[in-house]
Amino acid sequence: MQAEIRYRPSFATVFVELSGQDRIVAEADAMASMSTNLGIDTHLSRSFFSALGKKFFGGESLFVNEFYVESGQQGELVLTQNTPGDIVAIELNGGGICLQPGAFIACTSGIELKTQWAGFKSMIAREGLFKLYLCGKGKVWFGAYGGVVEKQVQGEYLVDTGHLVGYEPQLQLKLQMAGGVFSSLFSGEGLLSRLQGNGKIYLQTRCLQGLASWVNPRF
Amino acid sequence: MQIEIINSPGNAAAKVVLDGGEKLVAESGGMIAMSADVSVVTSSKTKGGGGFMKGIKRMLTGESFFLNTFTAPSQGGEVYLAPGLVGDMVIYELDGSRELIAQGTSFVGSGEDVELDSNWQGWKSAMFSGESMFWLHCKGSGPIILNSFGGIYEKEVDGSYIVDTGHIVAFETSLRFDVQKAGRSWFSALAGGEGLVCRFEGRGRLFCQTHNANNFGWSLSPMLRPRN
Repeated sequence: MQAEIRYRPSFATVFVELSGQDRIVAEADAMASMSTNLGIDTHLSRSFFSALGKKFFGGESLFVNEFYVESGQQGELVLTQNTPGDIVAIELNGGGICLQPGAFIACTSGIELKTQWAGFKSMIAREGLFKLYLCGKGKVWFGAYGGVVEKQVQGEYLVDTGHLVGYEPQLQLKLQMAGGVFSSLFSGEGLLSRLQGNGKIYLQTRCLQGLASWVNPRF
Repeated sequence: MQIEIINSPGNAAAKVVLDGGEKLVAESGGMIAMSADVSVVTSSKTKGGGGFMKGIKRMLTGESFFLNTFTAPSQGGEVYLAPGLVGDMVIYELDGSRELIAQGTSFVGSGEDVELDSNWQGWKSAMFSGESMFWLHCKGSGPIILNSFGGIYEKEVDGSYIVDTGHIVAFETSLRFDVQKAGRSWFSALAGGEGLVCRFEGRGRLFCQTHNANNFGWSLSPMLRPRN
Protein backbone atom coordinates (compact mmCIF):
# COMPACT_ATOMS: atom_id res chain seq x y z
CA MET A 1 0.00 0.00 0.00
CA GLN A 2 1.22 3.43 -0.84
CA ALA A 3 -0.41 6.46 0.66
CA GLU A 4 0.30 10.13 0.23
CA ILE A 5 -1.35 13.18 1.76
CA ARG A 6 -1.70 15.96 -0.81
CA TYR A 7 -3.10 19.51 -0.73
CA ARG A 8 -1.75 20.10 2.77
CA PRO A 9 -2.44 21.93 4.95
CA SER A 10 -5.63 23.64 3.76
CA PHE A 11 -7.35 20.74 1.95
CA ALA A 12 -5.39 17.66 2.96
CA THR A 13 -6.61 14.54 1.17
CA VAL A 14 -5.29 10.98 1.32
CA PHE A 15 -4.42 9.33 -2.01
CA VAL A 16 -3.99 5.58 -1.55
CA GLU A 17 -2.73 2.94 -4.00
CA LEU A 18 -4.07 -0.45 -2.96
CA SER A 19 -2.54 -3.68 -4.22
CA GLY A 20 -2.45 -7.37 -3.29
CA GLN A 21 -3.91 -8.08 0.13
CA ASP A 22 -4.17 -4.43 1.19
CA ARG A 23 -7.28 -3.49 3.07
CA ILE A 24 -8.20 -0.08 4.35
CA VAL A 25 -11.03 0.74 6.74
CA ALA A 26 -12.54 4.20 6.28
CA GLU A 27 -15.15 6.29 8.01
CA ALA A 28 -18.51 6.27 6.20
CA ASP A 29 -18.60 8.87 3.41
CA ALA A 30 -14.82 9.45 3.48
CA MET A 31 -14.40 8.25 -0.12
CA ALA A 32 -14.15 11.04 -2.70
CA SER A 33 -13.30 8.87 -5.70
CA MET A 34 -11.88 5.43 -6.51
CA SER A 35 -11.01 2.92 -9.20
CA THR A 36 -13.89 0.71 -10.31
CA ASN A 37 -12.03 -2.50 -9.42
CA LEU A 38 -12.14 -1.77 -5.68
CA GLY A 39 -14.55 -3.74 -3.56
CA ILE A 40 -16.37 -2.29 -0.56
CA ASP A 41 -17.41 -4.26 2.51
CA THR A 42 -19.62 -2.37 4.91
CA HIS A 43 -19.74 -3.54 8.48
CA LEU A 44 -20.39 -2.38 12.01
CA SER A 45 -17.30 -0.68 13.25
CA ARG A 46 -16.81 -3.42 15.92
CA SER A 47 -19.11 -5.26 18.26
CA PHE A 48 -22.68 -4.05 18.00
CA PHE A 49 -22.78 -2.21 21.31
CA SER A 50 -19.45 -0.68 20.80
CA ALA A 51 -20.56 0.48 17.36
CA LEU A 52 -23.75 1.86 18.83
CA GLY A 53 -21.68 3.70 21.38
CA LYS A 54 -19.51 5.02 18.62
CA LYS A 55 -22.52 6.26 16.71
CA PHE A 56 -24.41 7.95 19.50
CA PHE A 57 -21.69 9.04 21.83
CA GLY A 58 -18.45 8.98 19.91
CA GLY A 59 -19.65 11.17 17.07
CA GLU A 60 -18.66 8.72 14.36
CA SER A 61 -20.85 6.53 12.18
CA LEU A 62 -22.21 3.18 13.14
CA PHE A 63 -20.69 1.59 10.05
CA VAL A 64 -17.31 1.70 8.41
CA ASN A 65 -16.33 0.78 4.87
CA GLU A 66 -13.53 -1.65 4.15
CA PHE A 67 -11.92 -1.17 0.74
CA TYR A 68 -9.90 -3.90 -1.00
CA VAL A 69 -8.70 -4.99 -4.44
CA GLU A 70 -8.95 -8.41 -5.98
CA SER A 71 -5.55 -10.11 -5.70
CA GLY A 72 -3.10 -9.29 -8.43
CA GLN A 73 -4.79 -5.98 -9.16
CA GLN A 74 -4.12 -2.38 -8.25
CA GLY A 75 -6.53 0.37 -7.46
CA GLU A 76 -6.66 3.98 -6.37
CA LEU A 77 -8.68 5.31 -3.46
CA VAL A 78 -9.06 8.98 -2.48
CA LEU A 79 -10.18 9.68 1.09
CA THR A 80 -11.14 13.03 2.54
CA GLN A 81 -12.90 14.69 5.46
CA ASN A 82 -15.79 17.13 5.73
CA THR A 83 -13.84 20.10 7.02
CA PRO A 84 -11.03 21.89 5.24
CA GLY A 85 -7.80 21.32 7.11
CA ASP A 86 -4.80 19.11 7.62
CA ILE A 87 -4.60 15.32 7.95
CA VAL A 88 -2.14 13.38 10.12
CA ALA A 89 -0.89 9.88 9.40
CA ILE A 90 0.57 7.91 12.30
CA GLU A 91 2.04 4.45 12.56
CA LEU A 92 0.88 2.34 15.50
CA ASN A 93 3.09 -0.48 16.66
CA GLY A 94 1.04 -2.11 19.39
CA GLY A 95 0.31 1.25 20.97
CA GLY A 96 -2.86 3.26 20.70
CA ILE A 97 -4.37 6.67 20.11
CA CYS A 98 -7.53 8.33 21.42
CA LEU A 99 -9.40 10.47 18.91
CA GLN A 100 -11.99 13.14 19.49
CA PRO A 101 -15.38 12.76 17.75
CA GLY A 102 -15.26 13.26 14.02
CA ALA A 103 -11.48 13.10 13.67
CA PHE A 104 -11.14 9.52 12.43
CA ILE A 105 -10.75 9.09 8.67
CA ALA A 106 -9.19 5.69 8.00
CA CYS A 107 -6.85 2.95 9.17
CA THR A 108 -5.23 -0.19 7.81
CA SER A 109 -6.94 -3.49 8.62
CA GLY A 110 -4.60 -4.41 11.52
CA ILE A 111 -6.02 -1.61 13.65
CA GLU A 112 -8.86 -2.19 16.06
CA LEU A 113 -11.51 0.50 16.62
CA LYS A 114 -12.96 0.64 20.11
CA THR A 115 -15.07 2.99 22.11
CA GLN A 116 -14.12 3.92 25.63
CA TRP A 117 -16.10 5.56 28.38
CA ALA A 118 -15.08 9.20 28.49
CA GLY A 119 -17.13 10.31 31.50
CA PHE A 120 -20.03 12.67 32.03
CA LYS A 121 -17.80 15.70 32.15
CA SER A 122 -16.83 14.94 28.59
CA MET A 123 -20.48 15.14 27.59
CA ILE A 124 -20.82 18.51 29.29
CA ALA A 125 -17.90 19.65 27.18
CA ARG A 126 -19.88 18.46 24.12
CA GLU A 127 -17.25 15.85 23.40
CA GLY A 128 -19.56 12.84 23.81
CA LEU A 129 -19.83 10.14 26.46
CA PHE A 130 -17.46 7.82 24.68
CA LYS A 131 -14.21 8.40 22.94
CA LEU A 132 -12.75 6.54 20.03
CA TYR A 133 -9.73 4.43 20.87
CA LEU A 134 -7.61 2.83 18.16
CA CYS A 135 -4.91 0.26 18.81
CA GLY A 136 -2.96 -2.48 17.08
CA LYS A 137 -0.42 -2.52 14.30
CA GLY A 138 -0.74 -0.37 11.23
CA LYS A 139 -1.48 3.09 10.00
CA VAL A 140 -4.11 5.57 11.15
CA TRP A 141 -5.24 8.76 9.40
CA PHE A 142 -7.17 11.44 11.22
CA GLY A 143 -8.16 14.94 10.27
CA ALA A 144 -8.45 18.37 11.74
CA TYR A 145 -10.23 21.62 11.01
CA GLY A 146 -7.32 23.99 10.42
CA GLY A 147 -3.68 23.09 10.81
CA VAL A 148 -2.30 20.52 13.23
CA VAL A 149 0.11 21.16 16.07
CA GLU A 150 1.91 18.13 17.45
CA LYS A 151 3.10 18.46 21.02
CA GLN A 152 4.99 16.16 23.38
CA VAL A 153 3.49 16.55 26.84
CA GLN A 154 5.67 15.92 29.86
CA GLY A 155 4.01 16.32 33.18
CA GLU A 156 1.02 18.55 32.70
CA TYR A 157 -0.47 20.61 29.92
CA LEU A 158 -3.69 22.54 29.36
CA VAL A 159 -5.58 22.69 26.08
CA ASP A 160 -8.89 24.14 25.00
CA THR A 161 -11.18 21.11 24.66
CA GLY A 162 -12.49 22.03 21.22
CA HIS A 163 -8.98 22.16 19.81
CA LEU A 164 -7.84 18.75 21.02
CA VAL A 165 -7.97 16.21 18.16
CA GLY A 166 -6.11 13.21 19.56
CA TYR A 167 -3.82 12.07 22.34
CA GLU A 168 -1.89 9.01 23.37
CA PRO A 169 -3.83 6.80 25.79
CA GLN A 170 -1.24 6.86 28.57
CA LEU A 171 -2.20 10.49 29.13
CA GLN A 172 -4.87 11.20 31.74
CA LEU A 173 -7.44 13.73 30.62
CA LYS A 174 -9.38 15.84 33.09
CA LEU A 175 -11.80 18.59 32.31
CA GLN A 176 -11.67 21.76 34.28
CA MET A 177 -12.74 25.38 34.15
CA ALA A 178 -10.38 27.91 32.68
CA GLY A 179 -9.90 29.64 36.01
CA GLY A 180 -12.36 30.86 38.58
CA VAL A 181 -16.05 31.13 37.79
CA PHE A 182 -15.54 34.67 36.48
CA SER A 183 -12.81 33.89 33.99
CA SER A 184 -14.56 30.70 32.89
CA LEU A 185 -17.59 32.73 31.93
CA PHE A 186 -15.89 35.80 30.53
CA SER A 187 -12.44 34.80 29.30
CA GLY A 188 -14.02 32.98 26.36
CA GLU A 189 -11.93 29.93 27.14
CA GLY A 190 -14.74 27.85 28.62
CA LEU A 191 -13.65 24.33 29.45
CA LEU A 192 -10.08 23.22 29.37
CA SER A 193 -8.64 19.74 29.24
CA ARG A 194 -5.82 19.08 31.67
CA LEU A 195 -3.54 16.39 30.31
CA GLN A 196 -1.30 14.58 32.75
CA GLY A 197 1.53 12.15 32.04
CA ASN A 198 3.96 11.69 29.21
CA GLY A 199 2.77 11.38 25.64
CA LYS A 200 1.95 13.06 22.39
CA ILE A 201 -1.08 15.24 21.71
CA TYR A 202 -2.47 16.65 18.45
CA LEU A 203 -4.20 20.02 18.38
CA GLN A 204 -6.18 21.69 15.61
CA THR A 205 -5.59 25.39 15.04
CA ARG A 206 -9.31 26.08 14.43
CA CYS A 207 -12.49 24.56 15.81
CA LEU A 208 -15.94 24.35 14.22
CA GLN A 209 -17.54 25.75 17.34
CA GLY A 210 -15.48 28.89 16.81
CA LEU A 211 -16.79 29.29 13.26
CA ALA A 212 -20.36 28.62 14.45
CA SER A 213 -20.15 31.25 17.15
CA TRP A 214 -18.90 33.73 14.58
CA VAL A 215 -21.70 32.90 12.14
CA ASN A 216 -24.58 32.70 14.65
CA PRO A 217 -24.92 36.39 15.55
CA ARG A 218 -24.90 37.24 11.84
CA PHE A 219 -28.03 35.26 11.04
CA MET B 1 -4.89 36.20 -22.86
CA GLN B 2 -2.64 34.96 -20.10
CA ILE B 3 -4.14 33.42 -17.00
CA GLU B 4 -2.25 32.68 -13.85
CA ILE B 5 -3.74 30.93 -10.82
CA ILE B 6 -2.34 32.41 -7.63
CA ASN B 7 -2.66 31.30 -3.98
CA SER B 8 -3.58 27.75 -4.97
CA PRO B 9 -5.01 25.57 -3.46
CA GLY B 10 -6.23 27.30 -0.30
CA ASN B 11 -7.48 30.64 -1.55
CA ALA B 12 -6.97 30.55 -5.29
CA ALA B 13 -7.64 33.54 -7.54
CA ALA B 14 -7.11 33.98 -11.27
CA LYS B 15 -5.04 36.84 -12.62
CA VAL B 16 -6.09 37.38 -16.24
CA VAL B 17 -3.93 39.60 -18.43
CA LEU B 18 -5.79 40.77 -21.54
CA ASP B 19 -4.26 42.11 -24.74
CA GLY B 20 -5.78 45.19 -26.32
CA GLY B 21 -9.42 44.59 -27.28
CA GLU B 22 -9.49 41.08 -25.83
CA LYS B 23 -12.61 39.96 -23.96
CA LEU B 24 -13.13 37.87 -20.82
CA VAL B 25 -16.50 36.46 -19.79
CA ALA B 26 -17.02 35.93 -16.07
CA GLU B 27 -19.68 34.90 -13.63
CA SER B 28 -21.32 37.97 -12.09
CA GLY B 29 -19.76 38.85 -8.76
CA GLY B 30 -16.53 37.07 -9.63
CA MET B 31 -14.38 40.14 -10.27
CA ILE B 32 -12.29 41.29 -7.32
CA ALA B 33 -10.08 43.88 -9.04
CA MET B 34 -9.21 45.18 -12.50
CA SER B 35 -7.41 47.90 -14.41
CA ALA B 36 -9.41 51.14 -14.31
CA ASP B 37 -9.98 51.38 -18.06
CA VAL B 38 -11.29 47.84 -18.64
CA SER B 39 -14.94 48.13 -19.65
CA VAL B 40 -17.68 45.87 -18.31
CA VAL B 41 -20.87 44.87 -20.07
CA THR B 42 -23.48 42.83 -18.19
CA SER B 43 -25.70 40.58 -20.25
CA SER B 44 -27.42 37.23 -20.24
CA LYS B 45 -25.99 36.56 -23.71
CA THR B 46 -22.94 34.49 -24.48
CA LYS B 47 -21.15 33.50 -27.63
CA GLY B 48 -23.49 31.31 -29.64
CA GLY B 49 -26.47 33.58 -29.17
CA GLY B 50 -29.31 33.11 -26.78
CA GLY B 51 -30.34 35.69 -24.28
CA PHE B 52 -33.11 35.57 -21.79
CA MET B 53 -33.80 31.83 -22.05
CA LYS B 54 -30.11 31.01 -21.90
CA GLY B 55 -29.88 33.12 -18.76
CA ILE B 56 -32.79 31.22 -17.21
CA LYS B 57 -31.22 27.91 -18.14
CA ARG B 58 -27.92 29.03 -16.72
CA MET B 59 -29.66 29.83 -13.44
CA LEU B 60 -30.84 26.21 -13.32
CA THR B 61 -27.23 25.07 -13.38
CA GLY B 62 -26.61 27.00 -10.16
CA GLU B 63 -24.79 29.69 -12.12
CA SER B 64 -25.83 33.34 -12.26
CA PHE B 65 -28.40 34.73 -14.75
CA PHE B 66 -26.09 37.46 -15.90
CA LEU B 67 -22.54 37.21 -17.11
CA ASN B 68 -20.07 40.05 -17.23
CA THR B 69 -17.93 40.65 -20.27
CA PHE B 70 -14.70 42.51 -19.61
CA THR B 71 -13.06 44.22 -22.57
CA ALA B 72 -9.50 45.49 -22.40
CA PRO B 73 -8.64 48.92 -23.85
CA SER B 74 -6.15 49.14 -26.72
CA GLN B 75 -3.14 49.12 -24.38
CA GLY B 76 -4.40 45.94 -22.61
CA GLY B 77 -5.44 45.41 -19.02
CA GLU B 78 -5.87 42.90 -16.26
CA VAL B 79 -8.73 41.40 -14.26
CA TYR B 80 -8.63 39.35 -11.06
CA LEU B 81 -11.35 36.74 -10.58
CA ALA B 82 -12.15 34.79 -7.42
CA PRO B 83 -15.03 32.66 -6.13
CA GLY B 84 -16.94 33.16 -2.88
CA LEU B 85 -15.68 30.13 -0.99
CA VAL B 86 -12.17 29.03 -0.14
CA GLY B 87 -10.66 26.56 -2.60
CA ASP B 88 -8.66 25.79 -5.69
CA MET B 89 -8.91 26.86 -9.35
CA VAL B 90 -7.77 25.29 -12.64
CA ILE B 91 -7.57 26.40 -16.24
CA TYR B 92 -8.92 24.14 -18.96
CA GLU B 93 -8.08 24.91 -22.58
CA LEU B 94 -10.72 24.18 -25.22
CA ASP B 95 -9.26 23.68 -28.67
CA GLY B 96 -12.40 22.99 -30.69
CA SER B 97 -11.81 19.23 -30.78
CA ARG B 98 -13.16 18.55 -27.29
CA GLU B 99 -16.03 19.77 -25.21
CA LEU B 100 -16.29 20.10 -21.46
CA ILE B 101 -19.17 19.62 -19.06
CA ALA B 102 -18.77 21.52 -15.81
CA GLN B 103 -20.75 21.66 -12.63
CA GLY B 104 -22.56 25.03 -12.83
CA THR B 105 -21.14 26.39 -9.60
CA SER B 106 -17.59 25.53 -10.75
CA PHE B 107 -17.59 28.08 -13.57
CA VAL B 108 -15.63 31.28 -12.91
CA GLY B 109 -14.85 32.67 -16.35
CA SER B 110 -13.83 31.94 -19.93
CA GLY B 111 -12.46 33.41 -23.13
CA GLU B 112 -14.92 35.08 -25.51
CA ASP B 113 -14.90 32.22 -28.02
CA VAL B 114 -16.16 29.73 -25.48
CA GLU B 115 -19.82 28.91 -25.94
CA LEU B 116 -21.74 28.26 -22.74
CA ASP B 117 -24.95 26.30 -22.65
CA SER B 118 -26.81 24.34 -20.04
CA ASN B 119 -27.05 20.67 -20.46
CA TRP B 120 -29.52 18.14 -19.16
CA GLN B 121 -27.77 14.99 -18.02
CA GLY B 122 -30.87 12.93 -17.41
CA TRP B 123 -33.22 12.42 -14.51
CA LYS B 124 -30.91 10.19 -12.55
CA SER B 125 -28.16 12.75 -12.64
CA ALA B 126 -30.54 15.57 -11.77
CA MET B 127 -31.96 13.76 -8.78
CA PHE B 128 -29.05 11.85 -7.40
CA SER B 129 -25.70 13.17 -8.59
CA GLY B 130 -25.52 15.66 -5.73
CA GLU B 131 -24.91 18.42 -8.27
CA SER B 132 -27.29 20.87 -9.93
CA MET B 133 -30.17 19.78 -12.16
CA PHE B 134 -28.38 21.12 -15.22
CA TRP B 135 -24.73 21.16 -16.12
CA LEU B 136 -22.77 23.78 -17.99
CA HIS B 137 -21.77 22.63 -21.46
CA CYS B 138 -18.69 24.45 -22.78
CA LYS B 139 -17.87 24.38 -26.50
CA GLY B 140 -15.71 26.33 -28.90
CA SER B 141 -12.15 27.35 -28.20
CA GLY B 142 -10.30 29.22 -25.53
CA PRO B 143 -9.62 28.91 -21.82
CA ILE B 144 -12.16 28.11 -19.10
CA ILE B 145 -11.46 28.91 -15.46
CA LEU B 146 -13.00 26.52 -12.94
CA ASN B 147 -13.09 26.61 -9.16
CA SER B 148 -13.84 24.13 -6.39
CA PHE B 149 -14.28 23.82 -2.66
CA GLY B 150 -11.06 22.01 -1.83
CA GLY B 151 -8.16 21.06 -4.08
CA ILE B 152 -8.79 20.02 -7.69
CA TYR B 153 -7.20 16.79 -8.86
CA GLU B 154 -7.25 15.54 -12.39
CA LYS B 155 -7.86 11.96 -13.44
CA GLU B 156 -7.11 10.67 -16.93
CA VAL B 157 -9.88 8.13 -17.21
CA ASP B 158 -9.25 5.21 -19.54
CA GLY B 159 -11.94 2.65 -18.90
CA SER B 160 -13.90 3.53 -15.81
CA TYR B 161 -13.66 5.49 -12.56
CA ILE B 162 -15.96 6.20 -9.61
CA VAL B 163 -16.48 9.62 -8.03
CA ASP B 164 -18.61 10.26 -4.98
CA THR B 165 -21.58 12.55 -5.58
CA GLY B 166 -20.67 16.15 -4.88
CA HIS B 167 -17.01 15.75 -5.85
CA ILE B 168 -17.30 16.32 -9.63
CA VAL B 169 -15.93 19.59 -11.00
CA ALA B 170 -15.85 18.95 -14.76
CA PHE B 171 -15.32 16.25 -17.37
CA GLU B 172 -14.80 15.94 -21.11
CA THR B 173 -17.79 14.89 -23.19
CA SER B 174 -15.89 11.79 -24.31
CA LEU B 175 -16.78 10.49 -20.83
CA ARG B 176 -20.25 9.35 -19.94
CA PHE B 177 -21.46 8.88 -16.41
CA ASP B 178 -24.18 7.01 -14.67
CA VAL B 179 -25.38 7.21 -11.10
CA GLN B 180 -25.19 3.90 -9.26
CA LYS B 181 -24.94 2.53 -5.75
CA ALA B 182 -21.58 2.32 -4.02
CA GLY B 183 -20.49 -1.26 -3.49
CA ARG B 184 -22.38 -4.36 -4.53
CA SER B 185 -25.36 -4.23 -2.21
CA TRP B 186 -27.87 -1.59 -1.21
CA PHE B 187 -26.95 -2.31 2.42
CA SER B 188 -23.40 -1.26 1.69
CA ALA B 189 -24.52 1.83 -0.21
CA LEU B 190 -26.88 3.08 2.48
CA ALA B 191 -25.28 1.94 5.74
CA GLY B 192 -21.77 2.73 4.51
CA GLY B 193 -22.68 6.35 4.05
CA GLU B 194 -21.37 6.47 0.49
CA GLY B 195 -24.86 6.04 -0.90
CA LEU B 196 -24.84 6.78 -4.59
CA VAL B 197 -21.75 7.39 -6.65
CA CYS B 198 -21.09 8.49 -10.22
CA ARG B 199 -19.46 5.93 -12.46
CA PHE B 200 -17.61 7.37 -15.45
CA GLU B 201 -16.98 5.31 -18.58
CA GLY B 202 -14.86 6.13 -21.60
CA ARG B 203 -11.66 7.98 -22.19
CA GLY B 204 -10.99 11.57 -21.22
CA ARG B 205 -10.04 14.04 -18.56
CA LEU B 206 -11.99 14.26 -15.32
CA PHE B 207 -11.59 16.95 -12.64
CA CYS B 208 -12.59 16.19 -9.04
CA GLN B 209 -12.61 18.30 -5.91
CA THR B 210 -11.04 16.93 -2.73
CA HIS B 211 -13.74 18.39 -0.47
CA ASN B 212 -17.46 18.89 -0.64
CA ALA B 213 -18.99 22.18 0.46
CA ASN B 214 -22.31 20.56 1.35
CA ASN B 215 -20.65 18.08 3.68
CA PHE B 216 -18.85 20.91 5.41
CA GLY B 217 -22.19 22.68 5.77
CA TRP B 218 -23.74 19.57 7.34
CA SER B 219 -20.89 19.37 9.85
CA LEU B 220 -21.41 22.96 10.85
CA SER B 221 -25.20 23.17 10.79
CA PRO B 222 -25.90 21.37 14.12
CA MET B 223 -24.00 24.18 15.85
CA LEU B 224 -25.91 26.96 14.13
CA ARG B 225 -28.97 28.29 15.87
CA PRO B 226 -32.23 28.72 13.99
CA ARG B 227 -32.77 32.01 12.23
CA ASN B 228 -35.26 34.19 14.06
